[in-house]
Amino acid sequence: MNHVTSETFDENARAALADSQLRGALRNVTSLFGQRRLAAARSLDNWEDLRNQARAIKDDVLLHLDSYLEQFVANAESRGAQFHWAQDAAEANAIICELASKRGARTIVKSKSMTTEETHLNTALEAADIQVVETDLGEYIIQLAEETPSHIIAPAIHKTKYQIAALFTQELGMPPTDDIAKLTSTARFTLRDRFAAADIGISGVNFGIAETGTILIVENEGNIRLTTSLPRVHIAVMGIEKIIPRFADADIFLKLLPRSGTGQRLTTYQSFITGTKTSHESEGPEELHVVLLDNGRSRMLAHPVTRQSLACIRCGACLNVCPVYQQIGGHAYGSVYPGPIGAVITPQLIGLEKTQQLPYASSLCGACREVCPVKIDIPRLLLHLRSEITENGSHVKRSASERAAFKLWRITMTKPWLYKLSARLGRIFQGVLIRKGKIGKVKGIARVATPLRAWTSNRDLRPIERQSFREVWRASLRKN
Amino acid sequence: MQTRTNNSAREAILESIRSHLSLSKNSDAREEEIQHKTERGPGLVSTVITDATPVVDLFKASLEEVDGHCLIVHDETELVHALTEIMRNLRQTKLSSLRVAVSDSTEVRRLTELIDLDLDEVAVTPSVAEVFNFDIGISGAQAGIAETGTLLLDSSRERHRLVSLVPPVHIAILDASQIVTTLGEALSLMRKDEQVSPIVTLVTGPSRTADIELTLTVGVHGPQELYVVVRS
Repeated sequence: MNHVTSETFDENARAALADSQLRGALRNVTSLFGQRRLAAARSLDNWEDLRNQARAIKDDVLLHLDSYLEQFVANAESRGAQFHWAQDAAEANAIICELASKRGARTIVKSKSMTTEETHLNTALEAADIQVVETDLGEYIIQLAEETPSHIIAPAIHKTKYQIAALFTQELGMPPTDDIAKLTSTARFTLRDRFAAADIGISGVNFGIAETGTILIVENEGNIRLTTSLPRVHIAVMGIEKIIPRFADADIFLKLLPRSGTGQRLTTYQSFITGTKTSHESEGPEELHVVLLDNGRSRMLAHPVTRQSLACIRCGACLNVCPVYQQIGGHAYGSVYPGPIGAVITPQLIGLEKTQQLPYASSLCGACREVCPVKIDIPRLLLHLRSEITENGSHVKRSASERAAFKLWRITMTKPWLYKLSARLGRIFQGVLIRKGKIGKVKGIARVATPLRAWTSNRDLRPIERQSFREVWRASLRKN
Repeated sequence: MQTRTNNSAREAILESIRSHLSLSKNSDAREEEIQHKTERGPGLVSTVITDATPVVDLFKASLEEVDGHCLIVHDETELVHALTEIMRNLRQTKLSSLRVAVSDSTEVRRLTELIDLDLDEVAVTPSVAEVFNFDIGISGAQAGIAETGTLLLDSSRERHRLVSLVPPVHIAILDASQIVTTLGEALSLMRKDEQVSPIVTLVTGPSRTADIELTLTVGVHGPQELYVVVRS
């Protein structure tokens, strides 16, 4: 379930394209969230200012990440939080398993966290014989179905209410229904027992505020509040890039995140957690543990283009506007982070060897860059990664004919006389390929020209014009 | 053992951050040349609200937009009457019993005692083990935000973390004077005492989800209904 399948992106995408139910669901989620985002952004007259400020804040954080992290940790520690640093997923999971086993924990409730999806924490906890229950409704559904999230904001969007009803009937013994309100209340009542019984609550973190040592988590369902309020121990897992410097900066990010994610002015709940409770009588956990995860993030700091990936606030806006994601959905990307941001983050986190196809899973239309609340230049990142793939040719498999074709192309393009000659020859010989004014699927002898065949297997090629630009130019000069 | 590993992980991560940042110095300089960098000062963006609507009305309108109920009352008699009516209605429509959990605020406890109904049970700040048995939670709030219809709950000033969260209905009592206009103002209120409280929660309407077929369903893990009674 948890292994990365980005290597087979092409096959995954083809399978997704053949799934009409999935494509219908994707059409609904992406257009609804997209429209809501637009309306919410337009409701503020300083949206562009907010984006610029948010990005400037994130740039500042990333350029001084070491000192901001130390400030955050010192402030939170002074308020009773305990910190655990993890260089990779295995370390993070080992820390959490040890915390759990030392406290004799049997049941853990968990709220949605992309970071723990990234580390496959649930698999590690289950291997340690600890029952872990996802409590976000969408995450709960996919946990029961033993699947993975398909959208950052709406993890179970690929499933219909009928599939969910069948799942609940089978797993929870619920009488069959197609009423969404009944499905939701079934989940509510089933999970109440788990919340009451849980020894530990595990959450993610949206923002870590350096100035005060505060953890800020946003949500709509209330399961994060329950996860962080009821059990005796709260473990928060955060990527090292989640820092914002000042408490007041939360204003900017709380304006951008919900509007970009779901088009809400504010999500239903924001929990600002600063250390542990001050008196024994207060409500809430006795212990707060924060696991700080690197897992390849610090590497991205090494170049300004890759560094901006760490500004991401996981709103999902780029998924909703991406013409590729809109067609194939999240699972095709074969890893935790889907869509345009996934296509740039995944290769950087786990290396290009297994994810080579992801930077090409884009038409470079730039819609993602337009909507990104922190102005990440995703197209530029995609190009950066593509050039890295080409430069480190060792793990790139290009056919001999493709290599030869590009070599020929280079020679032709650098010698004007050769260019003119080949254009003229092309104009003569393309005649055999042209059908109804265009070059369609090539057949017969031309099939050996692999790049041409690859191009025309899915789309037509425009023939070379009868007159070149130079010829038109010269002819019009003569006339005047 | 655990501590030693952790110290080394800490040092390794900080070192990795520093060394990778220093690698980027040259490209950063080049980037400065390529990209026209606009001057972007840090600090708060102040939202200018030109609307002349009084904050109480704006609060009510914003809260109702997210499916919360807002009642504006003018004195204590009206307030007690409003609480009584809310509960009477709830018993007639969706609740089979009226087990009420209240926060430790003396004002909230006093007002609850004045409710003109036979309540099945009233308990002050029930524990985690008990709180699931209650139908209604009643609390105060430390501030309201008009532009979003939001309640600010500061757990260091009132024990309302569980009563505002676990029962299916939450009723909050708020004074009009506590309502500020913007989120930014509420955030600076939270910083007023220099030290931020251990837990501050912003609540905007009842709990909601759209995780099944994007259909909005109100009331999933948190309260299904939220009433805010504003004393104006």
